[in-house]
Amino acid sequence: MISLFKRYGTLVGFIAIVAFFWFNLPDTFMTARNWLNISQQISMLAVVAFTMTFVMVMGDFDLSVGSMASLSGITAALLFSQGYPVAAGVAAALAMGILGGFFNGFLVSILGILPFVATLGTLTMFSGLAFWLSDGKTIFGRDIPKTFSGFARGGVDIELAGTLALKIPYLSILALVVLAAVWLVLEQTSFGRRLYAIGGNYEAARLAGVKVRRLRMAAFALTGFGAAIGGLMYASRVASANPTQGSGLMLDAIAAVFLGMTMSEEGEPRVLATLVGVLILGVLDNGLTQMSVDSYIREILVGAIILTAVASSSVGKFRR
Amino acid sequence: MRISKTLKTIAGLAGTMVLATGLSMGLAQAASKVAVITPYLAQPGTQFYVEGFKAAAEKNGWETNIVDTAGDVAAVISRLEDAVNQKVDAIVINVDPQQVAAGLEVAREAGIPVVGMDSGSDPLLATNVTSNGYAMAAETAVYVANRIGGKGRVVMFVFDAFPPVQIRGVVADAIFGNFPDIKIVDRVTPDVQDGGIADSRAKMEAILAANPDKGSIAAVWAAWDQPALGALQAIEDAGRSDEGIVIVGMDANPQARDAIATGGNFEASMAQDFIGIGNKAAEMVGRLLKGETIREPVVYVPTTLVTSSNVADLD
Repeated sequence: MISLFKRYGTLVGFIAIVAFFWFNLPDTFMTARNWLNISQQISMLAVVAFTMTFVMVMGDFDLSVGSMASLSGITAALLFSQGYPVAAGVAAALAMGILGGFFNGFLVSILGILPFVATLGTLTMFSGLAFWLSDGKTIFGRDIPKTFSGFARGGVDIELAGTLALKIPYLSILALVVLAAVWLVLEQTSFGRRLYAIGGNYEAARLAGVKVRRLRMAAFALTGFGAAIGGLMYASRVASANPTQGSGLMLDAIAAVFLGMTMSEEGEPRVLATLVGVLILGVLDNGLTQMSVDSYIREILVGAIILTAVASSSVGKFRR
Repeated sequence: MRISKTLKTIAGLAGTMVLATGLSMGLAQAASKVAVITPYLAQPGTQFYVEGFKAAAEKNGWETNIVDTAGDVAAVISRLEDAVNQKVDAIVINVDPQQVAAGLEVAREAGIPVVGMDSGSDPLLATNVTSNGYAMAAETAVYVANRIGGKGRVVMFVFDAFPPVQIRGVVADAIFGNFPDIKIVDRVTPDVQDGGIADSRAKMEAILAANPDKGSIAAVWAAWDQPALGALQAIEDAGRSDEGIVIVGMDANPQARDAIATGGNFEASMAQDFIGIGNKAAEMVGRLLKGETIREPVVYVPTTLVTSSNVADLD
C-alpha cells in the first residue's frame, strides 16, 4: 500500500489537481482550447526540463540553463538586428547552447569541479555575456523579424467535423518533438543506458569500460542545446530578447525533474515523468489564475506541492 | 475510528470545494471580473498604479485579480490567455504591449478590452493611461525661463535614444527657442550605464571649467533627475552654488526631492501621479464595461511641479 502510494502518489496528485480545477471551473478548464493553451504555456519550460533530464540522470545538475536561454535569445536577436536571416540567428543561438554546454561538461568532467559550483559559475558568466552583448537592453520591435515571432503565434489548423477549428500551436509541437527525441535517446540507445549506469554507480560504470568523461560532456552539451531551444522559443513568444528573460526557467525545470523523480521506483529521472512534473507546474499556474488566486499564494502552493510530492515518496524509504 | 476520521476529512474537503465553487459562481454573477497582469509588481511605481486601481475597483464592486509574473514577460502572455479563457470582463496590463502582442491578440479575438497602465500605446489596447511627457517638459522648461527672466545661458541634458525622454527634449528646445535672449550652451547626452549621475557630473564639470565667469551659466535643464543631481554635485564642488544657477530635473525621485527640500540650486522637478494613473485606468475600464468606446489611444493624468514650497506635502 505504502509502496503503491510512493510510486503513484505524484500521478494521483496530478489527477487530483486536474479534477479539482475541472470541478471548480466547469466551463473553462477541461476544454480542448484550454489544454492547447496550457501545452503552449509550458512548452518552453518543458523543453528545458526534458533536456535537463540528461544531466540529472547522471546525478548532475545544470544551474546555467536559465542564463543560457537568455543568452540564446540575445544572440539570435542581435544577429537579426544586424540584418542576418532568421536561419543564421537561430543557428548561432543553438551553437551557443552546444558550446556553453560543452564548456559546462569540460568543467565538470575534465576539471572535476562539482556540477553545482561549475554551473553556478557559468550561470553568472552566461548572464554577464548576455548583458554585455545586449548592453543590458531589450531588443524588440522592428529588429525581430515577423517570421521569427510568427512561429510562436502560429500552429497547425485542425478541422473537426468540418466546423470546429482548433489550432495546435507550433510551440507545443516543437516541445513534443523534443520529448520524443529525448525519450528515444535516453530509453532506446546505449548512450542513454550508459548515462543511467553512470548515475547508478559512477565508479562501477567507469570500471566497466563506460567512457564516463566523454559521455558526461555530451550530456551537458545536450542540456545546453535544449536550453538554447527553450530560449529561442521564449524570444519568439515575446517577440523580443532581454538578458534576463530566461532566468525563471532554471528552478522550474529542476523542480519538474524532481517531481518526476518521485514517480520512479529507484528515484531516477525519466523523461516521461518529467513531463508530468512540467504539467503539474503548468496546470497549477493556469488553473489558479483562472480561479483568481493571488499570485503569491500560488507560489506558496507550488512550493508546498513539490515538498509534499518529494516527502510522500521518501516516507516509504524511511519506514523501510 | 480511523475510517470515520478519513471520511470526515473527505467530507470536509468536499464541503470546502463546494463552498468555494458556490462562492465563486455567486460572485461571477454579481460582479464584473477584471484581471490586472504585470511582471513588475515589485517596482514602486507599479505598486502605486495597482493600489490606485484596486481602490477604485473596490468602490465599483469589481472582482479584481492581481497577477504578478515576477519579471517573466512570456508568463504575462500565458496569464492573458488564462484570463481570456476565464472570460473576464476586462484586463489591465502594465508591460510593453509589443512584447505581449500574442496574448493581446487572443483578448481581441474574444472581444475582451485591455487597458494599459503606463504601457505605451498600441492598436491592441483600448487605451493607455499615463503621464504626459510633453506637458511635463513644458512645465519645467517654462519654470527655468521664468526664473532666469527669459535671459541667460542654459545647459540641457537630454537622451534622444530613448523615445519617452526624447519627447521631453523636443518640447524644451521649442520653449527655450521662443525666448530670444536664452542661449543653449550645450545639449549634453550623458552616458547612462552607471545610472547617469556620475557621467553627468563629469560633463558638467567640463562645462563649468569652460565657462569660469560668474553668471556665465544661468540654468541647467535636465530631462530626468539623475543628470540634474550630477550637475548639482559639480556646481557645489566647484564652489559655484552661490551664483544662483537654477537646476531642474524630472520624475521627482526621492534623491531629487531631498535635494529640492534643502532649498539649494536644484529647484524643481515633476512628480507623476501613480495612484491617479491607477484610478484613471479603473475609470476607463468602467467606461468600457458600460460598452463605451474610448476615442483617445492615450489618456493623460495630470502631473505636479515639485518645488521647495510643496515637496514636504508629497508622500
